[in-house]
Amino acid sequence: MSTTPDTQPDIEQRLRAALSARAEMVQPEDLSHHAMAVPLRRRWTTPLVVLASAACVLLVLVLTFQLTDARPRTDDVAPRPDTPQVELPADVGRDWKADDLSTPAKLDLDGDGVKEKVAFLGEPSKEFDGRIRLQTTLSSTQEEAYGIAQLSTTIGTNALEPIDADSDGDQELVLYYDDPDAVGGGGYPLVFDLRDGLLVQAVAEDPDLLVRGQVPVPGSATEFYDLVRIHDYWIEDASLFSSRSVNAYAAGNMTLMRPETVVLDTWEWILDEDGILRATDAGCMRVGLESVTPCSGNVDDEVPYVSPIAERTIGVGESADFSTIYRFSARIEAFADPSVVVEGEDGRTVQYGLEVADPRVSTVQPTGVFSDGASLLVTSASDPSYVKVLVQDGDELRALEAVGEVPFENEGEVRTWLTQNGALVTVVSDGDDVWQAWQWVMVSRTEMAALPSGTVCFDDVGDPSTAATC
Amino acid sequence: MGMRDGATGTMEPSVDITELYAAHRLSLVRLAILLVDDLASAEDVVQDAFAALARRPDAVKDPSKTLAYLRVSVVNTARSALRRRRTARAYAPPHDLSPPTPEDSAVLAEEHRDVLVAVKRLAPRQREVLVLRYWSNLSESEIAETLGISPGTVKSTASRALVALEKTMQHPMEETR
Repeated sequence: MSTTPDTQPDIEQRLRAALSARAEMVQPEDLSHHAMAVPLRRRWTTPLVVLASAACVLLVLVLTFQLTDARPRTDDVAPRPDTPQVELPADVGRDWKADDLSTPAKLDLDGDGVKEKVAFLGEPSKEFDGRIRLQTTLSSTQEEAYGIAQLSTTIGTNALEPIDADSDGDQELVLYYDDPDAVGGGGYPLVFDLRDGLLVQAVAEDPDLLVRGQVPVPGSATEFYDLVRIHDYWIEDASLFSSRSVNAYAAGNMTLMRPETVVLDTWEWILDEDGILRATDAGCMRVGLESVTPCSGNVDDEVPYVSPIAERTIGVGESADFSTIYRFSARIEAFADPSVVVEGEDGRTVQYGLEVADPRVSTVQPTGVFSDGASLLVTSASDPSYVKVLVQDGDELRALEAVGEVPFENEGEVRTWLTQNGALVTVVSDGDDVWQAWQWVMVSRTEMAALPSGTVCFDDVGDPSTAATC
Repeated sequence: MGMRDGATGTMEPSVDITELYAAHRLSLVRLAILLVDDLASAEDVVQDAFAALARRPDAVKDPSKTLAYLRVSVVNTARSALRRRRTARAYAPPHDLSPPTPEDSAVLAEEHRDVLVAVKRLAPRQREVLVLRYWSNLSESEIAETLGISPGTVKSTASRALVALEKTMQHPMEETR
C-alpha cells in the first residue's frame, strides 16, 4: 500500500502506534453498563428449543439402551468438512403431469451426439409451487434418467441453453429459479449433470456469487435505502458465467441509483468431478446500457448523473407548460405576496403562496422526485439558499419536507440543482475536492429523502458539467 | 423492497447476539472511537450496530461473517454520525482538533496526539481506510468489502491519505481540506 518508500514506512509506523494507543485507552471499565440493544431470549429458553432439547435427550437415552457398543467413532462425531455435496434425486413423480406451458428441453446429455428430450413433470399443488421431475430416455442406452428440481413455480418450465461446464463433451441441463419477490428480477440457475444414470443437480461452491438481482451489502441498510451490489448470470459459448458489481449502489423506493456504466467482477463456473460448480476468475468487465467491454485498466464506474443543469426558470408574471408525463402549466402571480398557480390539463387549478422575494420556478419538472401529478422546483433569484419542491396532492400543492441523511440546501459545502432530465441532485463536500452526490426521491406523501448516487470530483462545483471521476 | 421486511418479531436470531455483544463490543467501540473521536458517540454507534443486527438477525446467514457484518455496520453508522455532525447547524467547531478529554490528553503521548489530530482532518473515507488498514489490520480486499468500494480505490485512497497525513503533520496549521 506504500507508494513513497522513503517516508511512508515511518508514517505508517507512527499511524499504527497512534491508532493503537488511542484505541487501547478504551478499557472494559470505561464502557457504559448498557444492556443489550434489545432484550433477547436465550436460544435454550425458547419453547421450540426446549422441546427439541427434550426430544434429543430422549433420543440419546433410547440409543444408549439399544446400542451395546455405544462409544462413538471419532469420525462419526467429528465435524464434516465444510464442502458442499451433491444429493441424489428421489425417484418420485412418475405420475406427475407436464404443464401445458412447459417446453421439453433438447440436449445431448450422454455425449453420443444425439439429443435427448427432457420432459418437465410438475408436482400437483394448490399454489403451483411443487417440485418438478425431469425425465428422459437416454439415446445411448435406452434407459430412463430422471432428476428433481425445485423452481419457483411448476407453471411454464423452460430450460436455458445447455452448457458443457466440465468440458467432457456432453451437455448439462440448465434451469432457473426466478425470485418472484425480487425488485428488478432475481434468482439463480440450476445445473443438472448426468451422473450414474441420474440427472443430479450440481452444487455451487459459493452460491452467493451465482445469483441474479440486487443483493444488499450486510450492515448497509438505512431508513430509506440499502446499498446493493448488482449480480447477474448468463450463458455464453456453452459456459456459465456470473458477475457482481465491484461497487454498491443505493436501492430504495423502487429506485436503483446506478451509473450507466458499471464495473463488474466476473466468474466462469466449472463443474468438477464431484459435481461441484467452482467459480474461476473471468476478469473485470465494464457494462453499459448497450455495451460490454473488458476493463483494460479502467476500473472506475461512470460518473454519477449530475448534469446538465436545468437552468431556465420563470419569474413573476411568466408561465411555462409542462408535458413530460402529466400535462400542466404553471405561472407565478403577484397580487400581494407572490404565489405559483398550476393549471392541469384535467381542469384542476391549485395554488401555493411563496413567502420569498423574487421567486423562480424551473421550467423542468423534478420528475425524479414526483411525476404522478404536478411537481415544481422553486428557488429565489435574491436568495440562492432558498430551494423548495412543491408537489400536487389532490387539490393542493404542498412543499415536501426533506428527511434523511443530507440537508436540502444550496449553500457552501452543500449544493443542490435540478438536471435537465428531472433529477434533483445534491452534492455534499467530503473534503479534498471530493463530493458525495445524492438524488432526491419522494418517500411519503409529505417527505422526500436523498439516496447516494456516487462520488464525484469537480473542476468547479459551480459548473456541474465539469464533473469527473475522482 | 423485499429485503427490508419488518417481520422479525418472532424470528429466532441465527446468531447469538448476547454472546457477540459480550465478545466484540469492546473492540468495536475501539474501532468506532477511531472514527468518531469521543467515547459516547462510539458507544452509540456500536449500540446502533447491535440494535440493527437484533432487528434483522436473519441478515447474517453465515455466523462466521457476523463480525464482518458488525464492522460494516459500525463504519456506516459512524460515517452517518459524522455527516449529521457536520451538517447540523448546532455543530460549531470544525477546527476543534484537541483530543476528546483532558484525561486523554494527559495519557496520550505527544507524538500520538499529532498523528491523531492529523487523522481527524482527513476526509471520512480516507480516515476509514487508514483505520481499517492500520488498526483493524484488514487486507485491501477486506477493506473494499467493508466500505463497498473496489480494491483499487482502497489502494489509491490509502496512498493519498498517507500523503495528506504527512503533509498535515508537517504543516499542522494549514487547511488541507
